[in-house]
Amino acid sequence: MKTILSVISILLIIFINGCSNNRNEVVVYTSVDQVFSEPVLKDFEQQTGIKVKALYDTEETKSTGVLNRIIAEKNNPQCDLFWSGDPVRAIVLKNKNISFPYNSKDAEDINPVYRDPENYWTGFSARARVLIYNKKLLEEKDVPQSVFDLTNKKLKGKFAIANPLFGTTTFHIAALFTLLGDEKAKQFLADLKKNKVVIATSNGDVKKRVMQGEVFCGLTDTDDAFEAAKEDTNIGFVFLDQNGIGSLVIPNTVNLIKKSPNQNNAKLLFDFLLSKKTEAKLAKLCAQMPLHKGVQVPKDVPSLDNIVPMKINFDETATELEKIQPFLKKWLNN
Amino acid sequence: MNNNIKFINFFNGHKFFAAVYLFFFLFIILPVFYIFANTFLFDNSLVSNIKQLDKNTFLLLLNSSIVAFVVSLFATFIGSVLGFLLYKTNLKYKGFFKILFLIPLLISPYILAVAWKDFFSVFFQNAKIISSYFGVVLVQVFIYTPLAMIIVGNAFTNIDAHLEESGLLITNVKDVILKIELPLIKPAIFSSFVLIFIFTISGFSVPAFFGIRVFTTEIFTQFSAFYNHSLAILQSFLLVAVCVFLLLTESKYISNASFLSVGSKGTNKKLFPSNNTHILFLTIWFLISVILPFITLVVQSFSKGTSDIIKAFDLLESAVGNSIGFALLASALIVIVGFVAAYYSNTQTKSSSNFFDWSLLIVFTIPSIVFGIALIKFYNRVVFNFIYSGYAIIVIAYVGKFSFIASKIIGNAIKQIPQSLDEAAQIEGISFYSRIKNILLPLILPGIFASFIIGFIFSFGELGTTIMVYPPGKEIMPIKVFTIMANAPLALTSSMTLIVLSVTIFMIAILYSVSKIFMKNYGFYND
Repeated sequence: MKTILSVISILLIIFINGCSNNRNEVVVYTSVDQVFSEPVLKDFEQQTGIKVKALYDTEETKSTGVLNRIIAEKNNPQCDLFWSGDPVRAIVLKNKNISFPYNSKDAEDINPVYRDPENYWTGFSARARVLIYNKKLLEEKDVPQSVFDLTNKKLKGKFAIANPLFGTTTFHIAALFTLLGDEKAKQFLADLKKNKVVIATSNGDVKKRVMQGEVFCGLTDTDDAFEAAKEDTNIGFVFLDQNGIGSLVIPNTVNLIKKSPNQNNAKLLFDFLLSKKTEAKLAKLCAQMPLHKGVQVPKDVPSLDNIVPMKINFDETATELEKIQPFLKKWLNN
Repeated sequence: MNNNIKFINFFNGHKFFAAVYLFFFLFIILPVFYIFANTFLFDNSLVSNIKQLDKNTFLLLLNSSIVAFVVSLFATFIGSVLGFLLYKTNLKYKGFFKILFLIPLLISPYILAVAWKDFFSVFFQNAKIISSYFGVVLVQVFIYTPLAMIIVGNAFTNIDAHLEESGLLITNVKDVILKIELPLIKPAIFSSFVLIFIFTISGFSVPAFFGIRVFTTEIFTQFSAFYNHSLAILQSFLLVAVCVFLLLTESKYISNASFLSVGSKGTNKKLFPSNNTHILFLTIWFLISVILPFITLVVQSFSKGTSDIIKAFDLLESAVGNSIGFALLASALIVIVGFVAAYYSNTQTKSSSNFFDWSLLIVFTIPSIVFGIALIKFYNRVVFNFIYSGYAIIVIAYVGKFSFIASKIIGNAIKQIPQSLDEAAQIEGISFYSRIKNILLPLILPGIFASFIIGFIFSFGELGTTIMVYPPGKEIMPIKVFTIMANAPLALTSSMTLIVLSVTIFMIAILYSVSKIFMKNYGFYND
């Protein structure tokens, strides 16, 4: 008995002391998929010698686990920097008074549209919302070119969107509300419902359903679309509404957390993430589109110069998002 | 008042027990009470949140209860049949089946849901049928049937053979099973039903994956879409209330049941003859519940040769040691907490032991994400940084989540020991700790090992709470699988799952072998 208890006590001490107190470190929480974010963070470690302690999110928690954790840790922040896959979460932190402004020199030539006017968050490497389709099931001429084509009867029950309460889909719908106004946007959602839209659990699930032929097409993000096209040549994708309202462009965002323990290192990582080097890496890893001019990217990565973006204000869209969420929940459950 | 005095006296006399109780109370119960108290007493939004608990909320809770009821019914029924065939007949290779049938319980529910959906997509080109209530029920029945099999099977083992033999003298096998065995194992059947109900109603992964709205997905939505932690905690409280109500109703059965009891000492087992129908049933169940998802994982893992398996191994290599270490340490603590709770429950008056029992149950019942938030809100302060920023928080989470199961397993092992043994030793003047060490522990060794192994399995695969509390920069196997799988090719995800599964089975085999050696030394035969 005594031996067992002694072993347990020793193990406990080892585990408790397992946490290092090395302060040449930075703690980053990210909602960006680990397969894409980890290589970038490793580059930072190599370049600066600063140890990066990262916390990644999971598909199971719809990539909201780390954000919830930052909110729950508000009174004693552990996280120095939050790298988000979209501006929504960054704006949530700003509104909850958890982040603080930082004006990075690397943000100077980034289009102000992709930056918070008060520098609470800054955007870099962007994705866009696209329509992914299965070439075996949908002929080229029938591929929708506008998000509004999804109400066409030809696609009844044959197209998918991810759960509109989460991630980039919720932001996409909020953007439509700001552009179209409440009445038209609600009518559009009613029409989608009438056309038997399939609700997938995530953008990754939309991709999978299209690849497996369960639906003809669906809305997802460029990184999912590129992955799918790489895995299966029968998968294609289009940027929607290039002759109309444009495609929603969603930058990654970075913000610094108030009262966090390693703020100087966090600022270095902030600058690193906004650098052209990081944008080039993300373009190579997951076809994300650089926001800086003159970044070397692989041939198949589109340039933002060639895409008509949706003209929205991210702050206004985030406010709209908060407003429409109860409606979206009802829409989803009815 | 009288009970409180007894409670204090008991722990006054037994310092080690008091220390364990204090550990559990301070480290695990307090954080949970803290967030409930915060929500109910100090949260300004309580009134508005209560207003949101409308008819739809309760309908959804009812809906989830119905799903949990159906899952529990099917899983308990099939598990009882399997338990009978594997523990009560003279079937060949039943030891082999007993271990293989456990596999669905060892795989993360989320991964199993993915495998089943892929199976329908790959072989039927249609996953719609499974992305429904049918899928939620089907997958969870597969997951929890092994649990019912263990509980009911072990109850069958503990039936006194003399009763069966007497019955057989006057009637046939069918009547003996229906009129003698079934009434005797009824408490175990209820126990199995209740435990599966609790697992199902508080489970999130499977319904969320299939896009089916249940109460836990609603709680998750409040957390993750609306960031309304208070409402989510309030809703969790309702969930806990349902489970507590269920357990109160069934407490008569639980308290007397050979619930999760293991081992076969002291009984002469009466084995019934098996026939081809039995073998056919076992084979069909084996093919459906184990082989099909397993084949799906293997086919996907090797779809591009061995490259994905090698890559998966590289990715997980660094996390294997950590995960095994935490799970082993947590299992040891789970056994200690479970033992103290069980000993106290079984030797003290019912009412005075209630608090410990219900505390264990509440922590077991609350959704993982809520428990995670409770731990964060309580421990994330400067004074507790040594816990929160290190590995200790993970161990605390595991111990909190799974001590309830250990207390029940060990409790039932203790129930099988005649109290006269302890009393005789007491009269001889043998000290309390000597009696525990030299009399009780050796006699309940199978229960201790079973708790350790089950604690290890659950801790090793725990995700919901770990994702909320694991320290930045540390790697743990299930977390790594889930963080990588978000955008990894299917083949890589399946390969990682296969590796996790292999490591789990390997560790169970080692623990099982160690337990066998130990128990042989103490004169047990391990079934």
